[in-house]
Amino acid sequence: MTETQVQQDGGLRSDQASGLTLLALAVWVGWLNLEFPVGTLAEPGPGYVPQLLAVGLGVIGILVAAFGSRSTPLSALPWPEATRALVIMTACVLATYALERIGYRITIAALLVFFLGVIERKAWWMTALVAAVFSLASHYVVGVMLKVPLPRGPWGF
Amino acid sequence: MIETFNSLMMGFSVAFQPQVLMYAFFGCIIGTLVGMMPGLGPLAGISLLLPATFGLNPIIAIVLLSGVYYGAMYGGSTTSILMRIPGEAASVMTCVDGYAMTQQGRAGPALAIAAIGSFVAGTLGVIGLMLLAPTLADFALRFGPPEYTALLLMGLFVLAYMSGGSMLKTLAMAVFGLLLGMIGIDVMSGYTRFSFGITELGDGVGIVPVAVGLFGISEILMTAGQADPPKVQQPSLRQLIPTAGDLRHSAAPILRGSLLGFMIGIIPGSAHIISSFVSYGMERRLSKNPERFGHGAIEGVAGPESANNAAATGAFVPMLALGIPTGPVTAVMLAAIMVHGILPGPMLIQQQPDLFWGFVASMYVGNVVLLVLNLPMVGLFVNLLRIPYAYLYPCILAFCIVGCYSVSNNTMDVWIMLAMGVVGYVLRKFGFDLAPVALGLVLGPMLELSLRQALAMSGGEYSIFLHRPIAVTMLVIAAVMLLFAIKPLIFKGKDWRSKVGLDEPADS
Repeated sequence: MTETQVQQDGGLRSDQASGLTLLALAVWVGWLNLEFPVGTLAEPGPGYVPQLLAVGLGVIGILVAAFGSRSTPLSALPWPEATRALVIMTACVLATYALERIGYRITIAALLVFFLGVIERKAWWMTALVAAVFSLASHYVVGVMLKVPLPRGPWGF
Repeated sequence: MIETFNSLMMGFSVAFQPQVLMYAFFGCIIGTLVGMMPGLGPLAGISLLLPATFGLNPIIAIVLLSGVYYGAMYGGSTTSILMRIPGEAASVMTCVDGYAMTQQGRAGPALAIAAIGSFVAGTLGVIGLMLLAPTLADFALRFGPPEYTALLLMGLFVLAYMSGGSMLKTLAMAVFGLLLGMIGIDVMSGYTRFSFGITELGDGVGIVPVAVGLFGISEILMTAGQADPPKVQQPSLRQLIPTAGDLRHSAAPILRGSLLGFMIGIIPGSAHIISSFVSYGMERRLSKNPERFGHGAIEGVAGPESANNAAATGAFVPMLALGIPTGPVTAVMLAAIMVHGILPGPMLIQQQPDLFWGFVASMYVGNVVLLVLNLPMVGLFVNLLRIPYAYLYPCILAFCIVGCYSVSNNTMDVWIMLAMGVVGYVLRKFGFDLAPVALGLVLGPMLELSLRQALAMSGGEYSIFLHRPIAVTMLVIAAVMLLFAIKPLIFKGKDWRSKVGLDEPADS
C-alpha cells in the first residue's frame, strides 16, 4: 500500500487500535491492582511494581496510538487464515478439556483424526494410521520412557 | 591461564563420557530437525524438550538443550538456503543471498560456507565464553540489588533499541511480559496477585507454555492451510565443496561476524536475531561491490550465519556468570538448570565447576558433531521438508499439548499455552515482536525483587542508583540507548534498522 493510499484511507489505523488496546489493558491492570497495597518508597508493597508497569504500559500505548497515524488502516489488515485458525483453536480447546476426562491417547487420536480427516481431508486409512501411531508412540515415549503421568480415561486407557 | 586450561581438561573428561556424548549427538540431531521445520524454532524446540530433561542429571540436561540450540541455528540456515524458508528468525538474512546462490546452482558452497562459518563462530564463541564467564562471575560478586536492577533495566532498553521492529512496540511487549511475571505469589509479602482465584496461577505463569504458545502455536495459526512445500534441491557431497575464491571471500566476514555476534549475544536484552541483520548490513557496507548483495554474494551468507551462531554462544556468558537470561532461549535453559536445584549466577563456576566446564567442553564437541555429521547428511535431512505440512502441523500441535502438560502434569499450562497462542497470533498480525514478552516474563520477578530490595536498602531513596558506580554506568548506557531509540521518532531520521533494510517488524 502506498503512502498516498494510506493517507487517503480514513478510519482507525492498526497502530492506533493496538495503542488504545494497550491503554485499556493498562487501565484494567491498574484497576485490578487497587486491591494490593502500594506501600511506601522505603517499603514498596506488592502493588508497587505492577502500578509502575501499568502506568508505563499506558504511556507507551498512548505513544503507539499517537505515532500510528501512518500505519495500515485497521480494515486493510489481511486475515485470510483467520477461519482456519479459529477452527484449529476450537479443536485444541476441546482437546484440552477432554484430556483429563477421556485420557491422553483417545484425545490425541481424536484430535489428529479431526485435523487430518475433517480439515485436511486426507485418506481415511492414512488418517487412522497417523492418529493411531502418533498417539500410541508419543504415549510410549512421554508416558512410559520419560515417566510423565499422562492422563487416563475412565476405561483405564 | 593454566588454571583455565586445567578446568577445561576437567570439562572434557565430563564431556567425553559416553552418555554425555550421546546426548550431545541427539541434541544436535533434534535441533537440526527442529531448526529446519518452519514453526519450530530453537525456542519452541527447547521448550518442548524441557520436560524430557527433568529426569536427567543437570549436566546432561544442559548439554542436550544446548545441542538443540546450535542444531536449530544450523538447521535454520539449510531451509533458508535451499527453499528460502527461514526455519528460525535468525536465518532470515541467510535467505537473501543463500537462496540466490541456490538459484544459480551453488547451493552446495552456500551450505558449506554456512556450516564452516557456524563452526568457526561457535568455536571462537566458546573460547570467549571460557575466558570471559569466570572473569565476569568474579566481577558480578560485587553486584547488589541496585546493580542488578540497573543491569536488568539496561537489558530491556538495549532490547528495545536493538529489536528489529518499532522501539515503542518492543517496549510495550517487554512491559506486557513484565506484567505477566507479576502473576502469582509475591515472595516479599505473600500476596497472591492477579490469579483470579485460580490456584495453579499462585506459582506464576511458566516460561514454557508462554514460549510454546507465543512462538509455536501462533506460527501454526499463521501458516495453517498453506499449500504443500515447494520442491527441494538436494545437493550431493561433491557439490558441497566451496571454491578457493568462496573461501577467500568468506574468511573475513566469518571472523567479523563471529566477533560482532559474540559482542551482541553477550549484552543482556539483545537477541541473536539482530546479530545476523547487523552483520549483513556491515558486510554490505564494507564490500567493494555492494551491488552483489541480494544476488548471491557468499559474504551475505558467511557473515550473518557466523554472527547468529556466535551470538548464541555469547548469550551463555551472562546466563552462566550472572544468572540473567539475554533472551527467551536462555530463559528456558535457565529454567532447565533451576529445576535441578542449581542457581546460575556468580557462584555457579565455583560451586559447580563440573557443570560449567563440562558444558563449555560439550560445546566444542557439539560444534564438531554439527560440522562432521550434518554437512554430509544434508540430503537426508531435507527429506523432512517433503512431509506435507497438512500432516506436520497437527503432530506439532499434539506435541505442544503433551509438552506443556508434562511441565507440571496439569492442564493449566496447556490453557496458558493456547491463550498465548491466540495472543501471539494477534500481536504478530499487528506487527509486534514477541521475544520481549518471553524475556520480560522471566526478568519481571527478578527486576521487582531487586528494585524493592534496593529501595528497602536505601530507605526509599532512588539516589542509591546514582551513588553506586556500576549501577550508574549501566543506567547511563540505558539512557543513551533510550535516547538513540527515540531520536528517529523526534527527528524523523533513519536509524540502524532502515540502514540494514529492516524496515518491517521482525517476527520472532
